[in-house]
Amino acid sequence: MIAECVREADVLEAVAFGRWPEQCGDLAAHVAGCEVCADLVEVARALHDDRAWLCREAQPPSAGMVWWRATIRARAEAARTAARPISVLQGIAGACFVGAAAGLLTVAWHSVHWMDRIGELALSLASRRADIAAASTIAAGHGLPILIAVAAGLVLAPLALYITLADD
Amino acid sequence: MHDMTLSELDQLGDEVAVSEATFQMDEDAFRLFYERTARPVWAYLSRMSGDTKLADDLLQETYYRFLRANVSLESDAHRRNYLFRIATNLVRDLRRRPRVAESQLADGIGDIEHADPQSADAANGAVRRLDLARSMARLKPRERELLWLAYAQGSSHKEIAETLGLKSGSIKLLLFRARRRLAGLLREGGR
Repeated sequence: MIAECVREADVLEAVAFGRWPEQCGDLAAHVAGCEVCADLVEVARALHDDRAWLCREAQPPSAGMVWWRATIRARAEAARTAARPISVLQGIAGACFVGAAAGLLTVAWHSVHWMDRIGELALSLASRRADIAAASTIAAGHGLPILIAVAAGLVLAPLALYITLADD
Repeated sequence: MHDMTLSELDQLGDEVAVSEATFQMDEDAFRLFYERTARPVWAYLSRMSGDTKLADDLLQETYYRFLRANVSLESDAHRRNYLFRIATNLVRDLRRRPRVAESQLADGIGDIEHADPQSADAANGAVRRLDLARSMARLKPRERELLWLAYAQGSSHKEIAETLGLKSGSIKLLLFRARRRLAGLLREGGR
């Protein structure tokens, strides 16, 4: 339940314009007997005086400083927003390189097994095919390092290119 | 992503033009508006956050968000209300953060206790402000906001409703209850 008084506005105005209580003889007499207006005076005066004191004591930064900081921050945010799509593309490119490298390694691994089988097949041939068998064994023996070297080249070259461009 | 250096910022001339164009007012208009509103907004932030240093940071943030907001505000009164709305939301956001307890966002009592009154009037004023700070600290945040806007800032019920995101019709009752409570606490001396 709200208790109201028709003189609340007069009381508030007197406090707000600094007329309370010196220039409010009639109103002061009313407030002395009105609980609602007494509460209003108590609260409004305390808050009004506190605000006046805080506004006097306040040392806010200058308008120019606030404007300058806001401009700098807006620039940085605009730059971040502009750079965001590039970062996404760089991430996608990086993921593609990793995927390609993994694919190459898998292919290389399977090739090594395949060449091992060729070597075994060659060894199983008769001794009259000794020259062919020897060639196959050599291929099987050197296949893995060759394939790893090729795969490393394919992976590292674009990676080096990516790192160089990312620094720019 | 690395932080932007000043030289990199200088290279972003086009983006600067874009960002400045997004501010809703030019620098001269902002300066006039700021001179009229900065102290009352700081006072509000100071009392609602209970920390004058925090109020400094929140003041900068309030005006930044105000400048970046793309809202059409036809009058100075609307702009002022919008500013207080931003300030209110900032303090509420701060209060929701787990590491910022209500005790830290309390009352600003420390600032007042460390003041050094040099006359009897100043001493009485300091005592009254201390009572008010202690009493305000015992109110709910929304009660503090309501009372400050109504009796310190002199806002109408409609303006308070817009600022605090409340229904205009409920302001009268909420304000009455908050006022009665604060008056009681002040008579007890804030204890």
